[in-house]
Amino acid sequence: MQVERWQHERAFDFARRKAAGKVKPPALQMAADPGPGRGSGPIYDLRLKVAVESFIINLLNGLSWGMLLFLISVGLTIRIIWGPGYHVVDPPAILSGVFSIFNQTYPVYRVFLVVAGPLIGLALWSFFQLTRWGKIIRAAAVDREMAEGIGIRVPILFTAVFALGTWLAAIGGALAAPHQSLAPSMGERIIIESFIVVVSGGMGSFPGAFVGALALGLFESFGTVFLGSAQMAVPYILLATVLLIRPHGFFGREL
Amino acid sequence: MRTDKPISTIIFSLAALAFLSASPFVLPVYWTLILTEILIMGLFAMSFNLLLGYTGLLSFGQAGFFGVGAYATALLISRGGNSLFLCLLISLSSGAAAAGVIGYFCVRRDEIYFAMITLAFGMMLFTVAHSWIKLTGGSDGLPLMSIPSVRMFGIEFSLFNPTNMFLFVLSVTSACILFLWRLVRSPFGLMLTAIRENKQRLSFVGAGVQNLRLAAFVIAGALAGVAGGLFSLFNSMATPDFMHWGFSARPVLMTILGGSNIFFGPMLGAAVFFGLEQVITNITENWMIFLGLILTPVVIFFPRGILGTLVHYLFKKKKIKP
Amino acid sequence: MKKKCFIGLMIISVALIGLVTVAPLSAAKTVKVGFVYIMSGPFSAYGQFAKQGAELAVDEINSKGGINGHKVEAYFEDSTGKPDVAIRAIRKLVFQEKVDMLIGLDSSGVAKTVVPSIPQMKTPLIITHAATPDVTGSVCNRYVFRISVNLAQNVKAGALLASETDAKTWTTIGPDYAFGHQSWEYFEKYLKQIKPDTAFLPRSEVAFPPFKTTDFSPYINKVMQSKADGVLVSLWGGNLIDFVRQGKDMGFFDGQRQILMTLGAATEVLTALGDKMPEGLWVGTRYWFLANDSAMNKNFVKAYKDRYGAYPSYNAHGAYAALYTYKAAAEKSGSINKEKIIDALEGLTVEIPIGTITIRPQDHQALTDATWGKTFADPNYPIRILKPIKIFKSTEVTPPVDKTGCKM
Repeated sequence: MQVERWQHERAFDFARRKAAGKVKPPALQMAADPGPGRGSGPIYDLRLKVAVESFIINLLNGLSWGMLLFLISVGLTIRIIWGPGYHVVDPPAILSGVFSIFNQTYPVYRVFLVVAGPLIGLALWSFFQLTRWGKIIRAAAVDREMAEGIGIRVPILFTAVFALGTWLAAIGGALAAPHQSLAPSMGERIIIESFIVVVSGGMGSFPGAFVGALALGLFESFGTVFLGSAQMAVPYILLATVLLIRPHGFFGREL
Repeated sequence: MRTDKPISTIIFSLAALAFLSASPFVLPVYWTLILTEILIMGLFAMSFNLLLGYTGLLSFGQAGFFGVGAYATALLISRGGNSLFLCLLISLSSGAAAAGVIGYFCVRRDEIYFAMITLAFGMMLFTVAHSWIKLTGGSDGLPLMSIPSVRMFGIEFSLFNPTNMFLFVLSVTSACILFLWRLVRSPFGLMLTAIRENKQRLSFVGAGVQNLRLAAFVIAGALAGVAGGLFSLFNSMATPDFMHWGFSARPVLMTILGGSNIFFGPMLGAAVFFGLEQVITNITENWMIFLGLILTPVVIFFPRGILGTLVHYLFKKKKIKP
Repeated sequence: MKKKCFIGLMIISVALIGLVTVAPLSAAKTVKVGFVYIMSGPFSAYGQFAKQGAELAVDEINSKGGINGHKVEAYFEDSTGKPDVAIRAIRKLVFQEKVDMLIGLDSSGVAKTVVPSIPQMKTPLIITHAATPDVTGSVCNRYVFRISVNLAQNVKAGALLASETDAKTWTTIGPDYAFGHQSWEYFEKYLKQIKPDTAFLPRSEVAFPPFKTTDFSPYINKVMQSKADGVLVSLWGGNLIDFVRQGKDMGFFDGQRQILMTLGAATEVLTALGDKMPEGLWVGTRYWFLANDSAMNKNFVKAYKDRYGAYPSYNAHGAYAALYTYKAAAEKSGSINKEKIIDALEGLTVEIPIGTITIRPQDHQALTDATWGKTFADPNYPIRILKPIKIFKSTEVTPPVDKTGCKM
């Protein structure tokens, strides 16, 4: 299923890349963000607006074409409503400000991110491992025909998962918003990084994605300090190394 | 095997060539420039298609070799090089060399992994271009301060003139396409198709699959380098963006648009791509969105690409297998 | 099969040719001006504001009879901040729209790489934003002019300010391309001349985050941990916005170091930051709407505010001023012939909202004043304003021609 979705994604990716304002590439795995120097986990957040968005996406059942149009119009709408310039968002009051630890000041919001990320990741993992729906989805991924044979409506299921992925991506964007300035193009940079995280961690594996994101974040941050101008290559070196040594990633299974 | 009628092929190729050669004299200057770009990117896309359509390898790092060729030419000229022939030669060899080194690692993997590892290496090349400021000028790129002229029949033709540039690009591109044409119809070319069809079987039969793929990769890299050299001459600059994976996506798009299973598909795809860009940018700034809108049905409904589907339908009627 | 392929290709080509040669012929002679700015992507605000300034100027000029009696038409193209896209945009403007004048360029990197190709286009270009000294220096040519403050002028002013502070060791944080590197290079050069005992951190210890960086914390850390007590910040646009927000959270602006921001007073940045911009910081700009009391400036600011609801940024001013400069050159030469315009621009003295400038004929750089100021919260304005404002006369800050490296 991951392969199929990946190929599915290829076709949409280009259009989506341009359309993705706050909406980032849907990936079942977590969207990564380079750590702020002290290492960080993947980032997530909850926002009502996002929940509403995902509900609407769910309504576009089975119509991938419609989904694409929706994404594009979201992108255009963002541009129309907010304009092409930058915007700045504040974290909520309880999460702003700094605190001191070991003589270094550290923003509260980042600590929040470090905590929230793994929590959401854990929630996601337990959803897929422990709940009934999670098992159904995994079953459909492993053997689609059999699942359909039992009576699971796979196309709708996959669309729902796609929607979940999009929702998570939007959550990632919402979480990133107080941290970086908003601009319609903010999705472009994260695409390649999420890609690398997914591949290094192993497709189909949540712990893998977590490790991959951590690895990427740490490498990038330390690379900035020690490698100077070569630091841009770090994500790609990581990708190439993983692909050469262990193509299915840290935790992935052979496809 | 194809049953060509060689005479008709030659006649039609010459006719097309003549038609194209005459076009800069009738077209407005701006469209001559667009056509030049189409030819260069079409060559790039066709070299990419050697890997995708014929060998079954989707490479997302071809821009790396394109960029290597572009920078090779730019560096040669900035150090005082004055020979076009040398520029092309160095673009070709640097593209081939880079492809050789990188390909050695890449051909070990298949399918998605191949795509991703080529992307990784392409981006590493990008980082080198971007960060090795002393050599490459960094993210600002290298401007070409002068362009060597073509010296023929004792007359010097300046390549600053769009018509001359177009004709020069046309001749180089035609030569490369001719080379590709002969290549895919040679036994080597057939082996590549065999790799795409059934790799395992081929290796059972005894062919060195990795070596074949590497050879294809190197040739594709060499041609991409030539295209890159032409591009830097055309734009009077070489910038790191030529190596970015976003740039690698262009030949992919053009090939998808045109059809990967037809020889000229990618070239047609390039023409459609640039034609669309020109038409749509007159209407709106956000032409990329429309590109996506157009691309998606093409991928879903016309998996053979535009030219491919056209050919397919034409043959369905005549019941002749291409 | 080949038959069909080729016939198909020919049909398409003929169709394209048909489409193309049906080019509309304009009736009355209009003056066409092509603008190339960054219209999309993270720095699109600059291009959009420039467009606003340009359109204001076009309407004003047309309502007063146009340039030498001809109506002005403006065409806008997007450079996206990339040199190859910029050159395509310029080619389109020159060969398809057939513009009489080119105005634009935000990015120094783009300008540096594109400027050597401008003579081929045989069309003059007035640069209004890109600040690298090279375009009126090492790669200067007959067709390229600049009316805005360049990096050398702005940084010299910064160095003069720096010499008045107590900071002894300086470092920098700037974007990792021509603009960032050269800002630092010139700052070092000028400050050393004024105050020879100043120390500067070596290249390996300063911070040059790549253009696309969104998380500046490693760089902020690097600078805060270093021994420097003075920081030259040459980040601009979205980079600067992110940097200020993140730096504020991390305590960068706690007063332990002297900070100079060469482009901190861009209204694009001040508007986005609002209250988050710390007060009391020395910031530079290419134009400040409150710095000049002249009637022209007051009218410009008022007209802009009435039309767009915001105060004009320096990019808006740049495009606006360039158009008026072109008008003045056309009036001086009596024609819009490109070569005559170039001759008229050389040595031209014209009044624009920032003040009166003169374009130096030897390198085509305008002798313009540099404006710096300290950020200040004024309840009458929604953004931080500059108070006090310090204007550095062009004679104080402009390098002499023989130091620019320009040989025309």
